[in-house]
Amino acid sequence: MNRLWISWKPYLMVFRLRALMETQYRAAALGGLVTQVFFGLVYVCLYTVLYDGADAAALQDTITYVWLQQMFFRMMFSNDGELTNLIMSGGVAYMMVRPLDQHRFWVCRDVGGRLVGAGMRMLPMLLVQLLLPKGCRMALPDSPAALAQFLLSVGLGAVCLCELSAIVDAINMKTLDRRGISAILNLTMMTFSGNVIPLTLFPDSVQMLIRYQPFAQALDAPIRMYQHAAGLPEWLLNVTVQIAWIVVLRLLGRWMWQQRMNDMTVQGG
Amino acid sequence: MPFIEARGLGKTYVRHAAPKTGGISRLWKRETQHIPALTDANFSIERGELVGLIGPNGAGKSTTVKLLTGILTPTEGTCTVNGRMPWEDRQAYVRHLGAVFGQRTQLWWDVPIRDSFLLLRDIYALDHAVWQRRLDELIAELDLADFLHTPLRQLSLGQRMRAELCGSLLHEPELLFLDEPTIGLDAVSKLKLRAFLKKENHAHGTTILLTTHDMEDMLALCSRVMVLGHGKLLYDGGLDALLQRYDTVHTLRVMFEKTPDLSAVPASVTRDGDAYILTYEPAKLATSVLLPQVLSAGRVREMTLKEQNVDELIARMYKEMAL
Repeated sequence: MNRLWISWKPYLMVFRLRALMETQYRAAALGGLVTQVFFGLVYVCLYTVLYDGADAAALQDTITYVWLQQMFFRMMFSNDGELTNLIMSGGVAYMMVRPLDQHRFWVCRDVGGRLVGAGMRMLPMLLVQLLLPKGCRMALPDSPAALAQFLLSVGLGAVCLCELSAIVDAINMKTLDRRGISAILNLTMMTFSGNVIPLTLFPDSVQMLIRYQPFAQALDAPIRMYQHAAGLPEWLLNVTVQIAWIVVLRLLGRWMWQQRMNDMTVQGG
Repeated sequence: MPFIEARGLGKTYVRHAAPKTGGISRLWKRETQHIPALTDANFSIERGELVGLIGPNGAGKSTTVKLLTGILTPTEGTCTVNGRMPWEDRQAYVRHLGAVFGQRTQLWWDVPIRDSFLLLRDIYALDHAVWQRRLDELIAELDLADFLHTPLRQLSLGQRMRAELCGSLLHEPELLFLDEPTIGLDAVSKLKLRAFLKKENHAHGTTILLTTHDMEDMLALCSRVMVLGHGKLLYDGGLDALLQRYDTVHTLRVMFEKTPDLSAVPASVTRDGDAYILTYEPAKLATSVLLPQVLSAGRVREMTLKEQNVDELIARMYKEMAL
C-alpha cells in the first residue's frame, strides 16, 4: 500500500499543481463565464422558439441540458499548451530524463486543469441562474441521488476526456501538426459528447448507439443522470460503461505513447 | 571498471525525403538518407571527473549526451554508466541522473519554482526532510531565495539557469549532464555558475559532463576535454596538452626606459609606439631563456606576456582537423 502511494505521489502532485495553476487564470474564467452565459441564452431562445409551446416538459429538459453543456464547456474544450509546445519543439524527448510514466503524468495533469477550470466557471454560472427569468432557468436535479450520481459521473467523464486527449497528443507526436487529424477529432468529440446539440434530441432509433459511444461518456452521460435519477441496475450500467471506455481508451493511449516514445529513442526529439 | 565506458558507440539517423529529381513521382517516391551523427566513439570516464565535450555545431555532442542519458538508443556499439546500459530500463536509470539543457527548460513554466521543486521531490521519491535540507543548501549556493515563489516565466535568463541547476541537483545525482549551461549569461552569472559547479563537483564527487562553445568555461572547469567533429572523437585528453599543441606563438610586449639593444635576442621584433613586440614560438624558444636576454638588453619599465586567445586556438584546431 505504501509503495503504491509513493509511486502515485508525483502524479497526484502534478494534478494538484495544475489545479492550483488554473486558479491563477481568473480573468480567463470571467471571460469564459460571459461567453458561456451568452451562448446559453442564445440556445435557450432558439429552443424555446423551436418547441413553440408544444411540450413544456421536453423544453425544460433541453434548457437544463443547454445550461449544463455551457457550464462544462471548459472541461470539454481544453488544450494543454505546454504539452503541445513540447511536442512541436521536440522538448518532449527531454522529459525522458525524468523517471516518470509520461502518459500517466500528462493525463493526471490534464484532469486537474479540466476539473478546476470547469469548477471555476460552473459555480458563478449557478448564481447567474438565479437572475434569469423563470422560463430560461435550468431545473434542479431530479433528486439528491441524481445529483450525487451526476457529480461522480462528471469526474469519470473528465478522466475519459483526458484519456481521449492523450490519444490526440500521441497523434500529434506523429504528425507534428495539431491541425489535421486532431482538429477533426476535436470536432467529433464536441459533437458526439453532446456539446453542440443535446444527444437526447437525436432520433430514438440511434439513441442506443449514440449514448454508449465513448464521446458521450464525457458529458451526455452525466447530464442524463442529473435529469433522471436512475435505479441501481441502470446506474451501475451507466458507470460500468464509463469505466469500460476509460479502460479501453487508456490502454490504447498507453500503447500509442509507448510507440511514440520508442520512435523518439530511435530518431531523436 | 570505469564509471562511464563507451565501446564503438555510434548513432545513425534515418531520414526520409522526397527525391531531388523526378517530376510527379516525387509525390509517392521517397529517398532514405542515412545520417551518421556519431561513429565508433571509445572513451571512459572515472567517477568524479569533470569532462568537457567540445566541437563545432553538428559535431555529435548532443547525440552523445542523448545516448548517455538514455533518450536515444545507439545503432552500433555499446556504453555503460555505472554498469547499466542507459536505454535499458530507462526510468530506473535516470533516477541517478541530472541534466540541464541550456536551451530547454525542465521546470514548470507557469508555477512558482518552489512548486516545481516540490514536484521533483515526489518524482524522485525524496524524503521531505532530506529534500528540504538539500533545497536550503542549493538556495544558499545558487542565491535563489529572492525568487523562490516567482513563476519561471518571470525570471531572467541567469535566474532561470540557476533554478534549472537547482532542479537537476535536488536528488543528488551521481552524474550531471550540462548542455551549454552558460549560454546567454552575463559575465558575473557565468563566474558564479562556474564556481558553483566546481564546488559541487568537489563536495559531492558528482561526475559532470559539460558541452559548451564557451572556451572560458572549459579553461575554468575542465582538466579533460573530448573534441568531437563530424561524429568522430578526435581528441581525448588534458586541456593543457591540447592547448600547448596549438598554442604555437606567444608575444611579449616590453617598454624600456632607454632605447635597448635587441640584436642578440632571437625573436622577431616589431615596434608599436614606444613598446617593442617580441614574437616567438615557445616550443623552440622557452620563455625562461628569452626573458634574461630581454632584461639584459636594457632597463625594462613594463612587460606583458600574451598567449593566444583560446577561441583563436580552438578555431585553428578545428581548421587543422578539417572540421
